[in-house]
Amino acid sequence: MKRLIDFYLTAMKFAVQKSFQYRLQSFFYLFTMFAEPVIYLVVWSTIAKQQGGSVGGYTVGGFAAYYITWTLLRNMNVARSPGDWEWRIQHGSMSAELLRPIHPIHNDVTDFAGWKLVMILMWLPIAALLALIFKPTLHPTWFQILIFFFAAWGAYLIRTVLMSLLGMITFWTTRVGAIYDLYFALELVLSGRLVPMPLMPTWVQHLANFLPFQWTFYFPINALTGSPTPAELVTGLGIQLLWFLGGLGLVNLVWHYGIRRFSSVGN
Amino acid sequence: MKLLRLAWNYLKIGVASELQYRVNFFIQLFHSFVAVATGLIGLALVFNYTSELGGWSRPELLAVMGIYILIGGVINSAIQPNMNRLLREIQDGTLDFALIKPVDGQVLVSVREFRFWSLTDVIAGLAVLGVAVAQLQTRVGLWQALGFLAALLLGGIMIYCFWLILTSVAFWVINIDTMVDLFQGLYAAGRWPISIYPGWLRIGLTFLVPLAFAVTVPAEALTGRLTVLTLVGAAGLAVLLMALARLVWRMGMRKYSGASA
Amino acid sequence: MSSPSSVIAVSGLSKYFKVPTREAGLKAAGKSLFRRTYRTVKAVDGITFSIEPGEIVGFLGPNGAGKTTTLKMLSGLLYPTTGSARVLGFEPSRRQAAFLEQITLLMGNRSQLAWDLPALDSFELQRSIYSIPRSQLTQTRDEFIELLDLKDLVKKPVRNLSLGERMKVEIVGALLHRPKVLFLDEPTIGLDVTMQRRIREFVAEYNLRYGATVLLTSHYMADVEALCQRVIVIHNGKLIFDGGLADLIDRFSAYKTIRVTFNNTLCNWGQYGEVLNQDGAHVVLRVPKADTSQRTARILSEQQVDDLTVEDPPIEDVIEKVFSQQDVSEGTGGAA
Repeated sequence: MKRLIDFYLTAMKFAVQKSFQYRLQSFFYLFTMFAEPVIYLVVWSTIAKQQGGSVGGYTVGGFAAYYITWTLLRNMNVARSPGDWEWRIQHGSMSAELLRPIHPIHNDVTDFAGWKLVMILMWLPIAALLALIFKPTLHPTWFQILIFFFAAWGAYLIRTVLMSLLGMITFWTTRVGAIYDLYFALELVLSGRLVPMPLMPTWVQHLANFLPFQWTFYFPINALTGSPTPAELVTGLGIQLLWFLGGLGLVNLVWHYGIRRFSSVGN
Repeated sequence: MKLLRLAWNYLKIGVASELQYRVNFFIQLFHSFVAVATGLIGLALVFNYTSELGGWSRPELLAVMGIYILIGGVINSAIQPNMNRLLREIQDGTLDFALIKPVDGQVLVSVREFRFWSLTDVIAGLAVLGVAVAQLQTRVGLWQALGFLAALLLGGIMIYCFWLILTSVAFWVINIDTMVDLFQGLYAAGRWPISIYPGWLRIGLTFLVPLAFAVTVPAEALTGRLTVLTLVGAAGLAVLLMALARLVWRMGMRKYSGASA
Repeated sequence: MSSPSSVIAVSGLSKYFKVPTREAGLKAAGKSLFRRTYRTVKAVDGITFSIEPGEIVGFLGPNGAGKTTTLKMLSGLLYPTTGSARVLGFEPSRRQAAFLEQITLLMGNRSQLAWDLPALDSFELQRSIYSIPRSQLTQTRDEFIELLDLKDLVKKPVRNLSLGERMKVEIVGALLHRPKVLFLDEPTIGLDVTMQRRIREFVAEYNLRYGATVLLTSHYMADVEALCQRVIVIHNGKLIFDGGLADLIDRFSAYKTIRVTFNNTLCNWGQYGEVLNQDGAHVVLRVPKADTSQRTARILSEQQVDDLTVEDPPIEDVIEKVFSQQDVSEGTGGAA
């Protein structure tokens, strides 16, 4: 256990160093990432203004707060994409990772975690600029901020296990593009990535309660920008934990069979 | 013209090799289907709360989405594969093979790749457009249709020129991968009529990244909003961009040949 | 025959792959979408050998012979189809941490170090992966840096190093955890002669200091000659020779080479043997091994000789002969 902690600390520091080398590219990547929520923000602000100031319970300022927090959360919940998994399984870098006496998933987590720390530093000026332009209304309590911090990491861990599950399908078949398409479409709609969940039809909101998606976008963002009760916040963290642990168990299972398969076919 | 025949030959090769992978057709079809479905869900959500956005009615917004998907299909099948390959070859130094052929370099690098199956996006876009046009209040007359085709053509040319200029930056600054990604991200803004964006963004999306001319202007033609002035302006801008692209390309080639001694 | 002390014990090890077959052409491509036909490729076919601690063994064979596949099975990356392999008492495919901490697999053209950072930073990461005590890390690292004459190269970003320098730091990174078993797959590929020698000397020194066992594949005979007392030859997945390098030459080569520097330019050298090369005052002859001493004696007595040496043929020729003999014998079904 101590060894694992040592690895996490060292590997995250290593990842920060690596990411720092790529800061210019990371800056451009940020702009690309911002494009998506800004478009949503403009569309919904326009609707809100047309409808007399608010839509579905969100004012223009409320939308601004939601989508700018979205950008911070997005930085936090980025995980190794299933496409990346596919590439490394097929191109031999998976073999290199398998030779190490530490499970490759630890490397994934620390790699992206370190990268995030660098990204958040660069996010600050752009977010400040956006705040100046779009004027969000944001008054979180200290408790909300605290919960948001943990919920953001929870969102990251849940997405890591989900992406890993998707990526590991490549152990068995390479025709996975369609599955990824479907997954990302579902995530877009059911997570709060496209719009805050309260704007979705009621039946969709009910459905989303049984799925892990909204715990990766809507719950953390709302923790900071909305007004949930402390009970709701703590329960939310608990449900995140459950989804993460469940997903982790599944990952272990699939990995066990996936590696057996990989080692009989190899690359 | 020799160049047209060259482009046609490359097209035939591209199609023939892709036809071998018939499974790709179904994968692409599914991909287009998901993209359309997602777009429609987004639109439906908006329609739930309002019947018009920035002065554009529901069928008009649907038409914009149709054109967006259609142009996206053209970009994915004809423009993007070529630009990706060009970027790679500039970075690896393997552009030489293309440049020693007895054909104009710019034409060659622009036509040699063609992703046949990405045309499913074009078909999907046309389908959505068809539905939208059927629902439009005003009938689409001959002039509007011609204006639409002209605007589409000009928009396509401008996107091509823009992308060529962007890729050519690699002649000087090798690592522009993320700049190219930026364009992909910005393209999503074309899903909505650019009049809804704040002023500064609208200007950027018109003159910096000619997104407005690729999607909104053809939509304006179809919905009777297009003025002759805008169309003439588009033509002028297209000519300007073509000249600029040519210039940047020539300068880049000189740099490239000088660099790899 | 393997003893309890064997570091590597392989018995009847085989690896078969099922490869889809497809013919060229549009129609065949369409048909293959509905009905797949397979054939079995026997990459490794029932090989048996064992290696004692401290040995440096060369693994020879033409491309596609099964060498890399065997190395992958021994390092746990591939499951054998049949047979068994034990390395350091472990079953490699179980990939236990205790096993992985004692081995290293180095492939000539694959990089394990971070591209944009100095090697020193990557070494620090290796430390945490392999749980190397810090004092041991510093000692080992400095020792290797000195052996390979790296000095400040470890402080420069890896991307700024030349190919040879990169290989040197890669090796240091791969051996930081003092593995007991080294699998080296073409470690000197693409390097210049000086660098190849440097790497060879380092491997030999590491073997001497740490008593490590080394299994090495290479296409450069110089590597094999310099490092390996023992060679295993694999061809078409089968083990066709296991023994000393000198024995290999003895068994598979029927010739010796005689080089003569002489005075008399009027002699017809063809009478003494096959003339491989004649140039002014030098000639190179090939003679049947059995006749070597007899022919040499004749040359010395009948000609005015300045210098004469008797050599084994270059190893490349021997190996080539080994492979072509195998092909021939398999092709003709043993017709002598």
